[in-house]
Amino acid sequence: MIFPRDATRRTDHKAASETFYDVVVVGSGISGAIIAEQLSQAGKRVLVLEAAADEDRSLKGYEGFLSRFYAAASKDNQSPYPHNPNAPMPRSTDARRIWPGQPDSSAYLVQNGPFSSDTTYTRVLGGTTMHWEAKTPRMLPQDFHLRTMFGLGQDWPLTYDDLSPYYVQAERELGVSADVEHQSYLGATFDPGYVFPMHELPLSYLDKVVAKGVDGTFVELDGEQFELSVRAFPQARNGVPNAAYDNGKGYVPVGAVNTHQVEEGERCQGNNNCVPLCPVQAKYHAGKTLAKALQDGRVDLLTRTVASKVLVDPATGRVDGIEVKVYQDPESPQHTTMIMRGQIFVLAANAIENPRLMLASGLSGSSGLMGRNLMDHAYLLSWALLPEMAGTFRGTNCTGGIVDLRAGSFRRQQAAFAVDIHNDGWGWATGAPYSDLVDLVDQQNLFGAELRRALPDRISRQLLLALMIDVLPNESNRVTVDPAYTDQLGNMRPVISYTVPEYTMRGVAYARQFARQVFQRLGAADHTAYDPTDGAYLTYEGEGYVIRGGNHLAGTHMMGTNSRNSVVDAQQRSWDHPNLYLVGGGSMPTIGTSNVTLTMAALCYRSAERIIAQLQDELSARLQTPAPTELPMPTVVAAS
Amino acid sequence: MTTSHHLNGDSMPAITTLDELYAYLDSAMQLEHATIPPYLTALYSIRPGTNSDAYHVLRVTVVEEMLHLTLVANLLNAVGGTPDLTVAGFVPDYPAYLPDGERDFQVSCARFSRESLGTFLEIERPRQAPDEQSRLIDRGPARRGRLGSAPGNNQLQYYSIGEFYQEISRGLHYLHDLLGDALFCGDPTRQVGSEYFYSGGGAIVPVSDLRSAEAAIDLICEQGEGFGGGIFDSEGELAHYYRFQQLVLGRYYQERDSRDHPSGPHIEVDWDAAYPIKQNAHLADYPADSEVAAAAIAFNTSYAGFLDLLTRAYGGRPELLLDAVTEMFRLRDQMTRLIHNPIPGLDGVNAAPTFEVSVHLAGVAS
Amino acid sequence: MTGPRQLDGSRRLEDFLAFSAEATAFTVFELRGTGQSQAYLNTCDGIVGTEVTDCLLDRYDAARSAVVASESTLPELLRRDILSDPQLGPVARNIAKMWFVGVWYELPRAWTEAFGAREGNATFVVSTQSYTEGLLWPAIGANPPGAKAPGFGSWAHPPRIPVFP
Repeated sequence: MIFPRDATRRTDHKAASETFYDVVVVGSGISGAIIAEQLSQAGKRVLVLEAAADEDRSLKGYEGFLSRFYAAASKDNQSPYPHNPNAPMPRSTDARRIWPGQPDSSAYLVQNGPFSSDTTYTRVLGGTTMHWEAKTPRMLPQDFHLRTMFGLGQDWPLTYDDLSPYYVQAERELGVSADVEHQSYLGATFDPGYVFPMHELPLSYLDKVVAKGVDGTFVELDGEQFELSVRAFPQARNGVPNAAYDNGKGYVPVGAVNTHQVEEGERCQGNNNCVPLCPVQAKYHAGKTLAKALQDGRVDLLTRTVASKVLVDPATGRVDGIEVKVYQDPESPQHTTMIMRGQIFVLAANAIENPRLMLASGLSGSSGLMGRNLMDHAYLLSWALLPEMAGTFRGTNCTGGIVDLRAGSFRRQQAAFAVDIHNDGWGWATGAPYSDLVDLVDQQNLFGAELRRALPDRISRQLLLALMIDVLPNESNRVTVDPAYTDQLGNMRPVISYTVPEYTMRGVAYARQFARQVFQRLGAADHTAYDPTDGAYLTYEGEGYVIRGGNHLAGTHMMGTNSRNSVVDAQQRSWDHPNLYLVGGGSMPTIGTSNVTLTMAALCYRSAERIIAQLQDELSARLQTPAPTELPMPTVVAAS
Repeated sequence: MTTSHHLNGDSMPAITTLDELYAYLDSAMQLEHATIPPYLTALYSIRPGTNSDAYHVLRVTVVEEMLHLTLVANLLNAVGGTPDLTVAGFVPDYPAYLPDGERDFQVSCARFSRESLGTFLEIERPRQAPDEQSRLIDRGPARRGRLGSAPGNNQLQYYSIGEFYQEISRGLHYLHDLLGDALFCGDPTRQVGSEYFYSGGGAIVPVSDLRSAEAAIDLICEQGEGFGGGIFDSEGELAHYYRFQQLVLGRYYQERDSRDHPSGPHIEVDWDAAYPIKQNAHLADYPADSEVAAAAIAFNTSYAGFLDLLTRAYGGRPELLLDAVTEMFRLRDQMTRLIHNPIPGLDGVNAAPTFEVSVHLAGVAS
Repeated sequence: MTGPRQLDGSRRLEDFLAFSAEATAFTVFELRGTGQSQAYLNTCDGIVGTEVTDCLLDRYDAARSAVVASESTLPELLRRDILSDPQLGPVARNIAKMWFVGVWYELPRAWTEAFGAREGNATFVVSTQSYTEGLLWPAIGANPPGAKAPGFGSWAHPPRIPVFP
């Protein structure tokens, strides 16, 4: 995929500020990229604003990320991406224990507690899809009606069937590898004859070892019997194209993005590094969609451009413009303030940055829900040593898991969950295999041949189950801002208040039991140990757990049926500001047990249709008005 | 269509029987494969972390040579032949000799350097014989490692690789006129389709008739030499010759550039950042009991296994091509270990794989 | 002070490799195959100083000569003379870890208290290549995450873990 050369430079900030765009999009991640691409296809002029200091998405730049990752002593999910004080981002290593009444403001996210989340998102061109793992399950039909079915959470103003055609579009764009026969479970249906763009990725040998013990096992919950099996996850990763796709037209995978022709990124090679960076771009990232969006010249892209305020006309409620701070040097606070204007505005900055920007603009909305209902999947890790060599540390980060408890009547009492079998061993929980090496050498005093025998014995038998547990919306879990906490440019930082809901904790307690049962089935030695000094340590009914963030941020500008129960409508349009769309995970009323990106992408395809229609409507309305509105002169304010 | 210009010639084609066609296609497979060891050797001699541009260009070229090999296998399968990469002598004893118009030239397994890049340019350089009579050149007495010669007569070598394929095309047409569509009697399940082979470097063409056969030949010729005349092929891919030329000229080609004048981003090449390996290394160059010798033998065994795997993949099990890629990655690791090791007793000269496979093939029953 | 080792760099590297082979149970060929030999020796020299490295290599040399006439095995001699030595033990363990994951681990506090703080003694990845050349990965039949990919679908097969007698 060719990224047009100098696309990030071809537009001058001043020229952009003097242009009246059809649509101004804040954020170049997957949501912003999809909307920009769709609007460009419809012939619209679009401006995309990106806070990061990126240049064009090129192979060289990408390899720069890779080298940075190689050289990093801590290989966490932000390790490839440079620190930028003008567009800071959270890092999982930032999380600290929070003491009551003492918010932790040592890192970008100000954590008000009581729970300290290690959730992250990535502020680079292409957003968090640069570091995401690329699991792409659809939500289940039940997930859209939890309030009606169980009196819990919020119903969506949409059904699975409403979203289904947009899931199809998203699966094409992301290049999903999966088999319909294995994804048709717990009520999920597909159009007759539908196949995914590519065949499902092979299960890992480790998955198969687990399957030997798990397949065919039954568990009972709320009087319902569930048969368990290890199943492949759908993934936005290039595999074997399905010749039957698109009525036999087949599918051509999208390779690496670069400014000149390069052949890379075709088939996944099993680098086992989806997070934080696929070295060959076999994994989808929004740079692929962005490159497409930039092809025809109707999309302008500005980097080093941080949206700082949404400007609203108090008379009409319409957004007039977006104030941005433009910087040159990430290390320097020097910047220029400008205003970007257009007919319609789209905030696609993610579920923390969207409400942060709105609240920093003084726009808390008529529902009072802006920033509330922050959700992120609660991950409980359980780890064990298998009785046989399973070849752990091979494959994509995760190929298979157990998803049979994603839905059921038990959800009236406790959270549903999905289980990942991690091909990267205990890494997430213990820092394996580095921690194992250090222990074997420094504590077990092994050397030479003894060490060589011990390494696979300790590492290649590792099994880590990551149990991803549903979290329901809760108004007190929220993003706020506080002028006391700002970043280098003077933008207010997000302040997070968060508690893991009891409903989720009931799911956590069950999930732990479930993991124990799987380990017993496999004859695997349970090595799980939760550290009470960990900032994310919680007790529930006398047992301690550590809960990790899933970076599946959602809920903070929830969609609903009216302006009192929600921030946006079913098209992600703001109830208060008729020419403003807040898009992404923030619009999701619930997250079920589905990684949020595919659903976000589907919602954005739906919104793009609505935005095109609205532009059309407003254009016709304007043609009937005799005096066209004059574009106000751009405001340029020098940095103080 | 680039392959039609010589079809109206008066002389009899060199290929008039199915057996002759098989022999030519066997020879074409050997030819396509023969460039892979030199490209791989240069590729993995590059010091890790340096010459990223050159690394990508070479890597992709290898992938596309694999594509060409597979296209020829599809051709051979389509006409009822049996691709076999395990026959004795399939892998040349390097240096090999490839045709270059009026003369031939030496192709070595050597380190990445200006000189080896010069050879690669020669391999891929477009050349068309001035007339049909000049298509076959008498190169004198039979010589080991001579490729692109007329099957059964090592002395007569084609003017160029492009001309060699022209002759195959002519033969295909001749036989098609004679036999009709019965020419394409091969088992269609032996064709490799895009499920098992895809890269940015052009899609694989399953061959089932004259049209698809021509398309496969066109793709091979266009990708290598840009035979049709342009620097980009019909699928918008830069021909190999121009890819290599970019490294010499220090700039990338971009759309609308004319030949020899790339105007894309600059390329920096560090010609010294390659391991100083023994050129056209042979097992005999390594002390008999050395670890280097043992590793070189192990590599040759693996390489023989790889060719055997390809033979099975082309013999009706195309899904094995996925395993073949895995095998290539293993070969990469074996090659780099050799290349990083000095040859004991030779000051400052590193080892390299020797690709002497025929000797060890016997042991590789799968 | 210049010891005899400094006079012959290649001999020094060979001893370093021979000791490293003992520490990791990878052959000298495999160690050289990583292309990291000189970088690791330089790192060790750079942090603890050439005198300490030389001392370690001398002890190794001596143990190697002594083993012929000794009732002990070479690993036993190395445990006695190097691994249990308060100064050389942590350095030796660091050399082993460096070969496995390309990381120089910060020496323990007890070491710096006894033998003096060393500039640059922090936990760091020696170089981008040292990460990708870590020998832990082949030891467990895997690839360093993000490099040396094994190929599509290879993960579905049983691992090829080198059998170690």
